[in-house]
Formats: sequence, C-alpha cells, structure tokens
Amino acid sequence: MAKLLDKQRYKCALGAMQTVQAIDRAIPVLHSGPGCAQKLSDSNGSSGYFSPNIFPCTSINEKDVVFGGVKKLHSTIENALKVIDADLYVVLTGCIPEIVGDDSGEVVSEFADSEKPVIYAPTAGFKGNNYKGHEQVIEAIVDQYLKKTDEKEEGLVNVWVDVPYQDLYWNGNYNEIEKLLKEIGLKPNVIFGYKKGIDNINKIPKAQFNLLISPWVSLKNVKKMEKKFGTPYLHYKTLPVGAFETSKFLREVGEFAGLDKQKVEAVITEHENYYYYLIERFADLFLENRVINKQFTVVGDAQYVLGITKFLTNDLGLVPAKQFITDDTPKEHREAIAEEFKKLNYGIQAEVEFETDGYKIHQQIKEHDYHGYPLILGGYYERELTEELKGNFLNVSWPVRDKIVLDDFIAGYTGGIRLIEDIYTVASQRFN
Amino acid sequence: MSYLIAIASSDEKNIDLTFGAADSFIIYEVEGTEYHKKEVRQVPQEEGAAEGSLAAGGSACGGSGNGCGNGSGSGCGNGRQGGGCTGPDSHSAKVELIADCRSLVCKKIGFQATRQLEKKAIASFDVDCTVDEALTKISTYFSKIDNHISLRQ
Repeated sequence: MAKLLDKQRYKCALGAMQTVQAIDRAIPVLHSGPGCAQKLSDSNGSSGYFSPNIFPCTSINEKDVVFGGVKKLHSTIENALKVIDADLYVVLTGCIPEIVGDDSGEVVSEFADSEKPVIYAPTAGFKGNNYKGHEQVIEAIVDQYLKKTDEKEEGLVNVWVDVPYQDLYWNGNYNEIEKLLKEIGLKPNVIFGYKKGIDNINKIPKAQFNLLISPWVSLKNVKKMEKKFGTPYLHYKTLPVGAFETSKFLREVGEFAGLDKQKVEAVITEHENYYYYLIERFADLFLENRVINKQFTVVGDAQYVLGITKFLTNDLGLVPAKQFITDDTPKEHREAIAEEFKKLNYGIQAEVEFETDGYKIHQQIKEHDYHGYPLILGGYYERELTEELKGNFLNVSWPVRDKIVLDDFIAGYTGGIRLIEDIYTVASQRFN
Repeated sequence: MSYLIAIASSDEKNIDLTFGAADSFIIYEVEGTEYHKKEVRQVPQEEGAAEGSLAAGGSACGGSGNGCGNGSGSGCGNGRQGGGCTGPDSHSAKVELIADCRSLVCKKIGFQATRQLEKKAIASFDVDCTVDEALTKISTYFSKIDNHISLRQ
C-alpha cells in the first residue's frame, strides 16, 4: 500500500546537485523538469559562483516525454560548455527522463572529447534519496573521470564525511577533521569546500588510503576505489565529536596509517588538556545547577545520531533514551549501526530505531518517560514537540530553520565544545 | 473513445509548417493507437486582421493613460503588425478552428499560441519529424495515459 511520508527528512536523489555544488567550480547540468533545482535548494549557503537558480537545466516538458529529451540534453550540455566557466560538468537526471528511457549516458559520452570533463550520474528520485544521490555523484567521478595510477603519495589520505548541505555543519566538520589529520602527520585530501575542487579530485587515485567517516554513506564508493585504484580504506563509523571519540579516532587512524605513536599521542594529549581545562572550568555548571536534562533523544541521519549519542553519553554523562535514525538507512547496514549503539561507555546501551515516519517518532517521544524534561536534538520538526514537552531543543539535522551555520562544526575536540556551548545556551536561556 | 489531432504540414508527410504559417490543418482521428486522416480544415482568411488587433489594442490599453497605451509605440499597444502581445485575439481564429482536437503538432509554435491552446486543454507539440512518427508517438503516449499504463520503458 502507498505510504504517506510524514515530515520529510531528506530529498530525492537529484538533491545530489548539492553534492556537486559543494565541489568548487563544478556545476550540475540537470536533465529534469523545470523547478526541480528550485525545490531542492535550501537557500542555506547555496548562493555563490554557481547557484541553483542558474544551473543549466533541460526543463523537459510533455513534448520530451513523448518524443524523448536527448536532443535537448545534448544542446543543453553543449551550450553549458560554451557559456559556463566550470572545471567539471556533472549531468544529473531526474525522474522523468529515467522513466521514459532517455539514454543520458549515451548523450554524455558524446562529450568525451570536450575540453572540460562531462560526467553523468543517474539520480532519479525513485532510485533513492539524496544520500544515495551523493554516492552516485562520487561513483560517477570515480568511474567516468578518474584513472588508475601507479604513483602513490605517502601520507595522502582521501577523507569522506557525510553529505554536504544535507549536513548543516559539513564545511566546518571537513575543515576540523582536516586540521586534526594534518596535526598527526597526514596529508588529508578533501574534494568539498573552499579551494578544493578539481585539483583535489585529481589527487584521489594517488592516495595512500581512503578514510570514510560515516556509518554507511559512501561505503560503496570507497569499496569501488579499492577495486579500481587498489586504495585500501578505513571505515570509521562514528563521527568523532568530543574528546573521547576524537582521541579514539586519531589513534585508530594513526595505527592504520602506520604513524609514529608518540607523535599521535602528543597531539591527543595537547588537545585533551585544553578540552578538559574548559570542561573543568564549567564543571560546576554541568554538575550543580542541574540545568540540563537527564535523558536525551537524537533524531537525524545515522551519522549525527551515532556521533552525538556517543558524545553526550561518553563525554557528558547523559543517559540516552531511544534514538531515531531518519535517513532511510539501507537494510544491509542497519544491524552493524545498531551494534555501535551498544558500545557506549559505562556499559550503557542505547536503543535505536530506523524510522522515516515523523508521526511515529513523535508518538514514541511523547510516550517515553524522560524522568523530567527531555533534551531533544533533531530536525526543525522536533521543535514544537519539544516545546510541548517543555524540553530543550537543538536543531542539528535537516531540516534546519532556526540556525544559520557558516563554518561552525561539531567534529573533533573543538566541535564537541561548540556543541556543549549550544546545548547549554539553550538550557540556560530557559532558566534565566 | 476516439479523439482528433491537428497537424500542420504542407505535404502530409513531414511536419514542416509553423503554427503561424499554417493556412490549413490536417485532422486525424485516433482510436487507441490507430489513426486515419479525417479532413483538412482551412484557416478562414482574416479580413481586416490588422484592424481587429488595432481595435483590441485601443480598448485594452488606451484607458488609464499609463501602462502600455501611452505614446512611444514601443510597448505592447501598437498592434499594427499584429505582433507583440496583442492579447488573446491574435491566434483565436486558428485556435477556434482546432478547438475540438486533443493535440496540435507543428514545426514551431510561439508562447502565446501555446498558452491559448493550453486553456482549451490542447497539447501542442513542436517537432521536426514525419507525420507518421509524430502520430505514432503521440497516440502511444495518450493511450498509455488514458489506460493508466506506466510510461516506463
């Protein structure tokens, strides 16, 4: 039976246009109906050199459904190459051309000899959400653009974290993880964000290894790169937030990369000292004022729910209530992710549910006894609910309506501190 | 149920006329995916077409003195050539002529004419192909839509 999706937490696969947009000087060329880009853009940090309003689009209509839209696609790509100065053109297909059977791959292959690379990712909405679309774009880059090389650069590591724009902290998180990896002696290679772009894409095959920091997104990409380029990968499932997880993360990466243990430990110690200096200074607030809630729930994609649950439990000593993962995680990954929630410190285990239906999530939150006011970190949809329950709310996952993030972040040691600041700001506002 | 498709063609083989240039339309009757020629409809000669549009221009735009009626002649008021946005009148004879059709196929069609046809729920297709190809594709499409069959190939 058809299911109504209540409170949508992600977009269709064509939302991968934001993945392309996050790559400096790369432009999506949309083979879709008019309005798709408009609907999919968030107006949250998406203006700039290229913005969704100027993405070339075939704007297909009824005629193209009947007679096929390949000619229009051809002319759109051809003219995009003429008038738009970009480094990489990524053709993304929407639902309609995929349904009526336009061979977009064939059209794109006609541009194999063009001066700038043109690649193609099938991102029809019925094929999945924008997490899948993100994987499709990376797969297209690996499959159609990059070539195997024997040249390997010692210490160069490709870093993959979750989906840009869908993840409001993506830019800052990438920067912070990059910074930490540099400190332990690696050369991180990121393709998203400021001054990255095509040069960093070109470096991908030369990397010593791929570092995937995500519960499941892009796992198939790093596996593909292992096959095609022979690049091994380290799959670190938890986004490191706060001292406990970040130190664990750095140790694991250091060991995988064969780095000098003492150097890694020195970096960790320095960061931890400062981190705990801050925590100590505010320990009275954390412990005595009882401004904070006893139990918390995180509603969001697997990356944030896992990362933040571990942080709040391991670093802040809060008790997890039920956690909700809303990114429609593929079934084959669910068990492994649920297993991670059992590995919390102090023998604590968190119950987690994979649920995309906002109504059901809200029902369960309402019914749960939080032993006081709940702390809820989630999408904007949870705001009203939390107000009803007189709890504290922080908007950390999509959709984001009451927060503007330019390059703030929650990853790493500093990221953990930022998240504490945000949570306690919300909590103390209530009491003052 | 059968329906009609209007085609703008000079030789009844290729879709070679624009909507504006067509002085007749070939009407095909379609039943399912079968089609046959039914008749040819001549576009009535518009006597005093220019007068008509001038009059329309006068009444629609002359009134308040601001907007498109005043002066320079560059706005949409000067309907002397029948061009510009002379409003809904300019194509009405042709649109009326094929008002009972479900679809129109021609080589090119302008924005205004498309909108006027849309108001009468007539789907216009501007294509460059043979009459047979167009009729086959369109009848297949409508047949699928009418019978709730997926367009997926």
